[in-house]
Parts: sequence; structure tokens; C-alpha cells
Amino acid sequence: MISSHLQNETRRLFLQKTGYGLGAAALSSLANADSAGAADGALPQSGLHHAAKAKRVIYIHLVGSPSHLDLFDYKPELQKRTGQLCPDEFFDTSKLAFIREQPNLLGTPKEDQFAFRKCGASGMELSNLLPHLQGVADELCLIKTLHTDQFNHAPSQMFLLTGFERFGRPSMGSWVSYGLGSENQNLPGFVVLITGQVLGAGNSAFGSGFLPTIHQGIEFRSKGDPVLYLSNPKGVSPGERKMVVDAVNDLNKEALADVGDPEIATRISQYEMAYRMQTSVPELMNIADEPQSIHEMYGTQPGKTSFANNCLLARRLVERDVRFVQLFDQGWDHHGSVFNSLPNKTRQVDKPIAALIRDLRERGLLDETLVIWSAEFGRTPMAQGAVGNGSGKTKAGRDHHKDAYSVWMAGGGCKGGHVHGATDELGYAIAHDPVHVHDFNATILHQLGIDHERLTFRYQGRQFRLTDVHGTVIKDILA
Amino acid sequence: MASESPDFGRDIRPILAENCYHCHGPDEQAREAKLRLDTFEGATTGGASGPAIVPGKPAESELIARIFSSDGDDHMPPPSSKRVLTPDQKALLSEWIEEGANYEEHWAWQKPQRPGVPSAPDPSLVRNPVDSFLLRRLEQEGLSYSSEADPAVLLRRLFLDLIGLPPNPEDIQAFEGTWANSEEREKAYDETINRLLSSPRFGERWGRPWLDLARYADSNGFQADQLRPSWSYRDWVIRALNSNMPFDQFTIEQIAGDLLPGATLDQRVATGFHRTVTCNVEAGVSPEGNRVDQVIDRVNTTATVWLGVTLECAQCHDHKYDPFTMEDYYSFFDFFNHTPLEVQLPSNKTDVSHDFIGPYLDLPFTAEQQQQAKDHDDQIALLQQDRDDALESEEEAYLSWERQHSESAAQPLDWEILQVTKFSSTGGEHHDILEDGSVLLSGKVPNTTAYTVETRTTLPRISQLKLEALSNPMLPGNGPGRGDAQQPNFVLKEFTATLRDHESEIPIKLHRPQANFSQKNWDVAGLIDGRPSTGWAINPQFGKSHWATFELVNPIEQTSGTTLVFTLPQNWGKGRVIGNLRLSARSQVSRGSKLPADLIAILKNPADKRSEAQQKKLRAHFEKENPTIKKIDAEIARLKKQRNTIKANQTLVMVEMEKRRTTHILNRGEFLSPGERVRARTPAILTLSRKPNDETRPPDRLALAQWLVDRDNPLTARVAINRWWAELFGNGIVATLEDFGTQSPAPSHPDLLDWLAVEFMESGWDMKHLLRVMVSSQAYRQSSRITPELLEKDPRNLLLGRAPRFRLNAERIRDNALAISGLLSPKMFGKPVMPYQPPGLWRQTGRNEPKWLEEKDEDRWRRGIYIVYRRAAPYPSMVNFDAPDRAACSVARARTNTPNQALTLLNDPAFVEMALALADRILQESSSPENRVQHGFRLAVSRLPDSRESRIIDHLLHERLDHFTAHPKEAENLLSNPHFVYQPQTRNHLELAAWFYVASALLNLDETITKN
Repeated sequence: MISSHLQNETRRLFLQKTGYGLGAAALSSLANADSAGAADGALPQSGLHHAAKAKRVIYIHLVGSPSHLDLFDYKPELQKRTGQLCPDEFFDTSKLAFIREQPNLLGTPKEDQFAFRKCGASGMELSNLLPHLQGVADELCLIKTLHTDQFNHAPSQMFLLTGFERFGRPSMGSWVSYGLGSENQNLPGFVVLITGQVLGAGNSAFGSGFLPTIHQGIEFRSKGDPVLYLSNPKGVSPGERKMVVDAVNDLNKEALADVGDPEIATRISQYEMAYRMQTSVPELMNIADEPQSIHEMYGTQPGKTSFANNCLLARRLVERDVRFVQLFDQGWDHHGSVFNSLPNKTRQVDKPIAALIRDLRERGLLDETLVIWSAEFGRTPMAQGAVGNGSGKTKAGRDHHKDAYSVWMAGGGCKGGHVHGATDELGYAIAHDPVHVHDFNATILHQLGIDHERLTFRYQGRQFRLTDVHGTVIKDILA
Repeated sequence: MASESPDFGRDIRPILAENCYHCHGPDEQAREAKLRLDTFEGATTGGASGPAIVPGKPAESELIARIFSSDGDDHMPPPSSKRVLTPDQKALLSEWIEEGANYEEHWAWQKPQRPGVPSAPDPSLVRNPVDSFLLRRLEQEGLSYSSEADPAVLLRRLFLDLIGLPPNPEDIQAFEGTWANSEEREKAYDETINRLLSSPRFGERWGRPWLDLARYADSNGFQADQLRPSWSYRDWVIRALNSNMPFDQFTIEQIAGDLLPGATLDQRVATGFHRTVTCNVEAGVSPEGNRVDQVIDRVNTTATVWLGVTLECAQCHDHKYDPFTMEDYYSFFDFFNHTPLEVQLPSNKTDVSHDFIGPYLDLPFTAEQQQQAKDHDDQIALLQQDRDDALESEEEAYLSWERQHSESAAQPLDWEILQVTKFSSTGGEHHDILEDGSVLLSGKVPNTTAYTVETRTTLPRISQLKLEALSNPMLPGNGPGRGDAQQPNFVLKEFTATLRDHESEIPIKLHRPQANFSQKNWDVAGLIDGRPSTGWAINPQFGKSHWATFELVNPIEQTSGTTLVFTLPQNWGKGRVIGNLRLSARSQVSRGSKLPADLIAILKNPADKRSEAQQKKLRAHFEKENPTIKKIDAEIARLKKQRNTIKANQTLVMVEMEKRRTTHILNRGEFLSPGERVRARTPAILTLSRKPNDETRPPDRLALAQWLVDRDNPLTARVAINRWWAELFGNGIVATLEDFGTQSPAPSHPDLLDWLAVEFMESGWDMKHLLRVMVSSQAYRQSSRITPELLEKDPRNLLLGRAPRFRLNAERIRDNALAISGLLSPKMFGKPVMPYQPPGLWRQTGRNEPKWLEEKDEDRWRRGIYIVYRRAAPYPSMVNFDAPDRAACSVARARTNTPNQALTLLNDPAFVEMALALADRILQESSSPENRVQHGFRLAVSRLPDSRESRIIDHLLHERLDHFTAHPKEAENLLSNPHFVYQPQTRNHLELAAWFYVASALLNLDETITKN
């Protein structure tokens, strides 16, 4: 007889072999069929361990890590002490990437452009660099006390996004796709949109690690084919493509009848889906059909590559029930001239992100869509380089900081207009309510109806999960 | 199962490991209530609540009480663990205790013994012991083998499995021809195996899985992901597999080839195995942290590749399930802890990347490089001969040159001061002629002035003139100007000289002006350019004497004495005028002025008194100036420069440092938290009679490698043959190819596993022998048809009641399609290649990024194993077929089935070009139109189509032919794809375009990309 482990293997195999749409069906039938699934570690358990607050995630990762101290975590005391030597205990070169001599403190400049303002009914303090986001402050759930274990870009990106600082683990989006499957027959469950260079962790930031590769993030590109190899060769029309697909499938059906391998049936359906994707993906990517009011709200320009376009695409993707949409925007690593560079970057992202939140709200999608602003780490309250008079014109920047930084969530069952935790008066360490990366990730999964301790995959003789052996859901921020 | 007694390894340990070991297992730190359940001793002596297990007495065993307890506090496993035992599992535990609670050592820690071969129910199906083991197991399930596959299917299977390429139609026909006669058939089968095993294509196919294990790639990984040379290691693997290097040697050379006595170049290249590890050059990274990460990877990869154990679990704490402690881990770590750092802080402080400093090895020149070098050397030698000949014929020219220069050098060269016979000026100043022959101005300082100086000399020949503006204490600020003690500058606008001959005045043409110093924008050249606005001045070099010299375009030769008249206009204003001036002249042959001073000094010596070195110097100068020689020398220099650009290729290798590091346990796996010191040794559970750490030998990588392939090592042989088995049969005998630990599922055929492992070691670790055994079995020769009964009873085909059927992996899909289309290049080895990939994929991955330069020659059609592997952006069409990014050791690839795969085969320009070539091949190779469909189909899947299949293809073909006949321009449009490098032979473009569609369909068939 065949041991129970192997029967489970068989189920797993079936899951590995299914296309985008089939995964979800397989998982839900599995959840129904096997109530003991939770006890059996070999099973990919039903994604819905409890009622989900969010069905989808739009995860915006600001690559390089923005200066949260100048955007979200206002520190008047730091402003006051700009130019003073930092306290000795702040200067620990084993925790600093670039600063090599005891640095000076660097507060947010006093110019009005950089000032913080109390916003909305909640009175949340947000920088004037984010005027549009200020307008949706009551939707934001700001976490001021995220901390991580890594302070170099690539390892820290992997730590945040895969729960482990080295290569080889599945990314969060892959875990979610694996756990919940896709609800769209024609699109992947996990889509990645990138502006600027790919981040240092490369494809590993959205890779599937040891999970089946069907769960890896698929990049939709704004130049060339949105999905690689989507368009037909020169001189082949859609109708002519269909002829080839039909011939291939007719021949595959002959083979299926002969050898009886269910794998052939799957391949037939994948060829059909590929053909459908050739229509559905360009349709999705074509934002020209949006009304002018939408383009004005987001600041989008059809045919261009921009972060704004990606925000609008993110909305179109979640409208089509894509489970996990991840935006990466490069260019936030401001080691020098931070007050010159930061406004340039916030101008690119502020308006479209606020528009995305409003647009989702107006369409009734915000409640079930979790929007996340995140980065691999924060930045030091100490200056990298000479502070000068500390005005917006200083050449100084900020180094990597892993011990405390700010991120936010919106929608998806989070408290709006809420601030969680606080840092000390200089923004160096956490004063209360720390949130570790594993806690943050556990919370995101929780909102999707997933118990982070139970979404596991057996590999190399043990159960792996996104949060390793850690992570506590931050109950305080849940609506 | 109910009829059988519970087996500890198969039934009980998985339950205990999964549900109990986390708190009651080998990890001392995590152990609760001082109870461990992973050993008989621990379970029966018990912890805080007494013995957990009383053998034979479940009712008295605390374990049983706890798992059946309804009290939430007492219940085990505790509800907080979210682990729940099923009623079956509880019953099994109870039954096992009843029968004595027998703990067996985990099978994988015990060395394999060759088991007896069982007798099979149907001896006619037994070709070798593999079949005996498999058939016995099938019989237990009431199953047996499927019938034998058709010869064409079988031949294709052998080709794809052993060399990764399909057979030719001729191969198929020949093979089928033998099938009627059983003797011939067996002979042909064996000969085919031998032929394929000795094909150079063998190493290319079997290198791929090994390179996945070795996480071989051509880039660093991480932020910038620069390329680095390791491809020589990839070639080493292919060569080692082709030469069937015994696996023990294969192991030793890769882990420790550098430490072998008298290590050869190849043995050092082999150590590239552990230099393929990723390397983070991001500037914030600690070089030591990076090194420790690399050593951790080497430890984990070694354990996975050879031992099939998850040693990495013991990196931060004792292993939860397997008997590996943190001390075991870091003792193993010590073997690898003695290679140098591979990055250092950037030499340029502002750089955002570390410098990569890991050790390289220079490779000998390739044949091509050797040829290039030889070509250069030959050409240089020829030119050298030309030069010698030229020198011989120029000897007389040299002698005359030498004579001429000697003569002119012998003439006096000293400046002779010109005697001032008359001085006048326009500024009304006073002048005196001093004893040194100079004129000193005094009295009124005019704003502007012009001097006219008449001089006389008896020099017989004048070729150069000199003007001096002298410093003098009589002048303000010591001069040489007169206007200002702070800024005693002068501005001389022009300098003209005339020869007074009787009553005529002949202007003297001057050139080659030189001065000891010229003020910015007031260069001495301005004195003789004829423009009044330019001139010579000396700010800020005040208080010093200055000089300017000029050469006469036509030297003056007058033996009776010469009168020269000079004019010096100085109209800048503010008294910027010269206060003390002197004029001189001298004679020198015109070319002599070009000779450097040291040569002139030599030439002054009489010819017979010049030393050899001095003569050489003269000749060298002559040669430098001789047009013929100069030309030859320039050519030689150019070739030598080119020759120097032929640089040896390099590869990354392991190098052991002379001074060993001390190794410590790293608390929580962090390099900044060293704990207790440890010394190299292998894990305690795997202690063999051969100990790498015994007193007589240094406990280094070599000792470790030899320990890995010791005949007593229980794991290495099993792990290796299990992976080859899975490559051929689809599943491992141990399903978890990466893990043989206590958490691994029991082997499907334990005896077969051990029989193969022992056979492997006793054959001298002969990989090809083992593969031959496997593919010679009847199991391998079955049909892969899946019957409903088999699908029901054994859906994963673990028992092998049929032959395996599964999708080819990424490289084989490419290689197979290239071979079918006839494009495949047989070129082996060397630098990685870049076939077509969509533009822009590499641009986005980081700074210092290398460029993707698409190959336009046969390199674009080389096998997948030679395509550049960049970790941040591996070749995209292969990624779509589950190729890993090779950032870490990868044991088994997934076999997904996705729409992206369909898009790749349909639309990737690389496959589109293959479809074009296949269409052309079919049209060129088929003599008659009727044969074409058959020929094309057989090229793709090695068999002939049945009538229904032919009809489907015919339908597509005729629709397309009709269409293109009606729309010939569309055919041209299709064939003018800019991505096509391949030039088709077929002239009839309508047919070619129609067949392109058929060819594309053939390359997309499930059967084409499947081994069946």
C-alpha cells in the first residue's frame, strides 16, 4: 500500500500542476474534503483559516527605503538638535552601512515645504511632501515602530519579503498565491509592476523559492510584451495563432486518448488560457480606455512607464481579482542630498497613491483590499555627510537604519486614521509597541484569513512558513 | 496495514517527529520537562512526570495517558501547538508500545548492505536485479509491469535520458529494423546504451542536474550581480562526466582538489564547486559577514549534495528532528573556515560596491588563443627580419649621419655675445653698455618705448639668436622691467632682426622661438608672429633673468664679420619696458638643434673614443628617425600591444590559507556572536572508522572529502544513486531527494536503494555503470501508457507498473527543439553564450551591469547548458520551464504546466526561428510531398503519425497553403521577421510559410516536450 505521506504528495503534485485558475478550486475542494488537514503538516492547508478581512493586497515597496523621519515620524527635538554630534550610543559602525565617523544629528528642515501638518479627523501628522496623502490620512493605519534584522538592501529586502535574509525562500506574494490561489482564470495570482531598476534582491523578492513556480510573481512590463512572449510573431494574426493552438490541442487530445496522462489535459487547458491571455492581458494593460477624470486623478499618461500608471494598473488588477499586486519603485536610497532628492520622489508617488486609495474607496474595493506602503528599512536620524545649516539645501543624507521605521496600511480591515507605536524623541529607537518584520507579515496574512503558523510547506524534512518560528499578529491595528 | 505490526521507522517515528520532537527531541535548549522521546533511553527513563513509555504496557505509559487525555492542560500535543493526532495515529502508538516500543536506529544512519535479490513472480520480466525488487513490490499490490514500449519510443527515451537529445530518423529506422529478431534487438539495445554513454553529449546532459546542485552561475547574485568567470568549472564537470571519473574522485577534486599533493590545474579548477556561492559586494556589507555567509552556504550545500541531510537546521539551534547539534554544525563549518575573504572595502571610498578580491586561477590559453598568440609572434618575427634587412641597407646612411653630426657637434656651441655698436630708443631714457655686453637703461621711465640695437660679430656662421632680459639690482624690484618695483614686468611686442650688408638691410627670418618662461597669454612665440597685439612677458617671475632664443630659417655665413640690427617695440604702457638686455648668437647645424643634449655630448667625443653603449645610443636615435625603420617599429609595437591583450582566461577556485582561523559556535547563527570554540569533525551520528579528525592527518577539506566517499559512509552513495534514479524514473526511491533524515518518508524500495548503493560503491563509484543498470532493466523498457487501474492504485507511479512520463526540463526542451529543427550547434565548452532574449531584461538589474549581446552566429543555437546564468535575471524562457535562479543549491526542479510555457513555445523568437528552420528542414529533406508530414512528425516525436494525427496536420497545412497562395505577400511578411538569423534554403516561400505553421505546432506538442 502507499503511505499516507505519499497520498499527500499526490495532492501536492496535483496542485503543482494546475494553472492559474485551477489552484483556487483545488485548494477549496481540499479544504472541504479534508477537515483534518490542519493537523497534517504535509498538506497545503486551506487558505481561509478564519474569515478574511481582505481579499487582495496591493503592496507598494519603495526600493532603497525613503526617509520616514521626513515623511511620517515627526521629531521636533531632532530638528532642534540638528548639527549636534549624535549621542555616543547611536554610533555603532557594525549597524551602519556607510557612516564611518561619529555623525551629527539631522532634523527635518524648517522650511514650510518640509513641515508636518495634522491631517483629517484623526489629526495624523504627515509631511507637506505628501499633500495628496494628507487628504486620505483618515484611511491610513500608520505603524511607526517596524524594525528589522538586516541593514543592507538585498538581504533586508529578502528578510522583509521572504522572512529570511538569504536566497531560496518563497516571497509573501507566493505564499498568498499558494494559500489562496487565484480567482481569475486568465491572470496570475501574483503580479509585479516595476518602475526603475529591479531591486537588489532581484527576482528573489517575488520568487516562489521552494514553492511551485506557478506561485511566483509574474512581472507585467510596461515596455515590450507586458508578459514575456505574449505577442505573436510578425505576420501571425490572432486567428492564425488560434489555428496553431487548435491543431496542437487536437493532437494533444489524440495523445491523451492514447496514453491517458492527466498532465496532457492540463496542458490543453493551459494552451487555451495562453490564447485568452493574449487578449485579456493587453486589455488589462491598456489604460487608455479610462476616463479623463481618472487620468487627472492619478496623473497617468497612457503609453508611458510611470509609477502613476502602475498604481492605476494595480486597481485594474484587483478589479479583476488578482490576489497580490506588488509595486516596486526604485530610487529612495538617499545617502546624500536627501532634502533635494526626497521631494522629487514624493512628487512621483504621492498623487497616484492617494488617487489609488480614493479610487478603491469609491468603487467599494478598499474594504477588501489591503494597500501597503513599505520599504526594506528606515533611515538614520544622523546625517551622512556634512550637515551645514541643516536647511533643505544641505548635501547631507541619511544612512540605513534597521531599528525603527514607519510603514502604513490602508483598507483591508485596518483601523483608519490610526497610529501604532512611537519612537524616542530623536527617532532612533522604539519607545513603545515594537513591530518586528515577522509580526508585520503575520498581520498581513491574518487580514487575508490566513494563520501564519498554519500556512506551511514541507521542504527538506521540515515545515517552512513565511514567519519562520516567529511573528505575532498586531491586534491593535485591526479594525 | 492493519495486519502488520507498526514499524518504528515507517509508522512511529514520523508521528513522534512531527508532533513531539519539537519540545521532546534532540534540541536540548528547546526540551520541555527534561523529556526526550527520540531515544528509547529518554522515553523509558522519562522526565519530570516519570517514564513516558513503559514497554509492553501502554496503560502504564504516561505518553498514552497524555495523548488520550481530555484535560486541556495535560493533553499532548498541547493545543497551543496546533498539532492534533488522528485516532489512527493514537492507535498506532498504543500498539507499538504494546509490542515493546522498539526504537530502531534510523535506516539512513546505517551503512547499506547488499541485500539478497528476491525471486520474481515472472522471471521472464527480469533483466537484472532492479526488476526483481520492483516486481516483488508490484506483486504485493496485485500489479505487474506494463508491456514493452515500441522501439521508436524506447529509442527516443534512451536518447533523451542519456544525452538529452532526440534520435535521428536514420537511428530510428536502424533500431526498428533490429526489433523483429530478439537477439539483434538485445544487441542493438546494449550497443545504443554504450554508444550514448560514450557520447560527448552525455556530460552536457548530466552536467545540468549537477550544476543545479552546485548552484553554478556566472554572476555574484545580490545588488549589482556582476558577471564573474566560473565557466571553466562548468566545463570541468562536463569533461569529468564524459570521462566517467569515479564519483569518489569527482567528489574529492571538487571539495579539495587544491589540497591534493601535486594538484593539477584541472583539480584546482574543480574546486570552483564551492566558489560558485553567491557573494555580496554591496558596500554596507561586512566582508567578514559575507565570508561567514559563504561558509554557511558551503556547509549546507555539502551536507545536502553528498549527505542528503538538512544540517542547516542546526545553524541556530540543535536540530529539532535529526541528531545534529550546533556543535556538530560548527565543527563541520571548521573544515571550510580557512579560505580568504572575498570582498574588501572599496578602494575608491565613494564607490557603492566592495572590491571583489576572491582568488582567481589563470587558465592556459585556449587553442584559439594559442593560435592567435602564435600568429602574432610569427608576424613580429617576420617584421624583425625586415628590420634587420633594412638596417643593413641603411648602414651607409647611418655612417654619413653619424659623420655629419659629429662634425657639427665638434663646432663651438657657446653663445657669443653680440657687441653693441649703437643703441637708440624712442622713450628718451639714458643707457649704458656694461662690461658683460648688456645694455642697462636708466633715467626717465617712459610709458612706452622702442629700442634699436646695432651689433657686430665675427662669428663665421650664425644659426641662432638669443635675447636676454636681465635682472639687475639697479632696477626697481631687481627688474628685469623698469615700471614698477612690485611688478617689474616688461611686455615686448615684437623682436625683429635685420642683416646690414653694405647699405642694404635684409630681414632675417626667425622660427622655433623658445623661452625659459612665458607669462600666460604672452607666449614668446608672439615676438615673431608679426602681430603687434601679441608679445612676450614674464609675470609673475619677477626679479629673475629671462631669455628667449630663435633659430634662423636661413643661417648666415659670413667670414668677414656681420652687422645685425634689432628692434624691440614695447608699447604696452605703464613702463612695462626692459631695463637690462643682452643679445647673443651661435652657430649650429640645423638638425643638430633637435638632438638631445646627451647625444650631442656623445657626438663631441671623437668617434673612436665612444663606448659601445654610446654607439648604441646613437644608432637607436638614428633608427628612431629613419622613416623605413620607424614604420617597421610602429608595426611591431602595434602587434606587441595586440599580443598583450590576449589574456589568459580565469576561473574562481578555493585556496586554503596558511594560517587557519579559529572556529566558534555562532550563537543564533550570527557572526558577531561567537560562542564556544570548536574543531573540525564530522557529525557524531555519522562517526565512521575513518575519522577526518584523527591525529595522523590534518582535519582539512581533503580529509572531509575522503570521509564523504568512505566505503562506510551510509549516505553518499544512496543519495547519489537516488537522484539519478529520479532523473530517469521521475521519483526518488526516497521521495525527498534533499533529505534522508528522520523526517524523510520511508523509501519506496529500501532493498533496491541499498542494492544500487552497494553496487555503485563496489563498481568503483562508476556512474555510467549504474545508469546502464537502470536503463537496462525491464522496468525502464515498459510502455508509459496510464491505465485507469494504475492511475487509481499508483497515481504517482512510485511502484513503476509503467514507464515514467513527464515533461522535459528547461534545457532539454531547448536542446531537443534545436536538434529537431536541425539548428543545434555541436560546439562545446568555453565562455557562456547569449542567444536571443527579449530586450531590456538585463538593463534593470543593477549598476555596472553587463550588456546582453545577442549571438548572431552558431553560438545562438548552442545547448542550454552554455547559456549565461545571471542570478538576478536567468534566461527567461528557461525560467518559464522551472529553471532555478541558482542562488542556492537546488536538488529537484518543479515540473509545472503553465500558460507561460505555451506562450514561450509559441512566441519566443528563439522557438519561432526553430520553427522556421524545421519547416525548411522538412521541405529540404523530404523527397516527395506525401512524405513530409510523416518526416516532420517523426523528427519531432520519433514516431510516425497515425491517420487521425496526419489528418489534423494536413488540415492545418492545406488551409495555410491555400491562404498563402491567395495572399503571397503575407508569406513574405511572415518570413521577413527581423529576429531570423537562419537563412532558409527553400525557394518556394508559400510552402515555407505554410510549413512554418506546421513546424510550430510540432514543436508545441505535449509529446515533443515530454519523455514518454
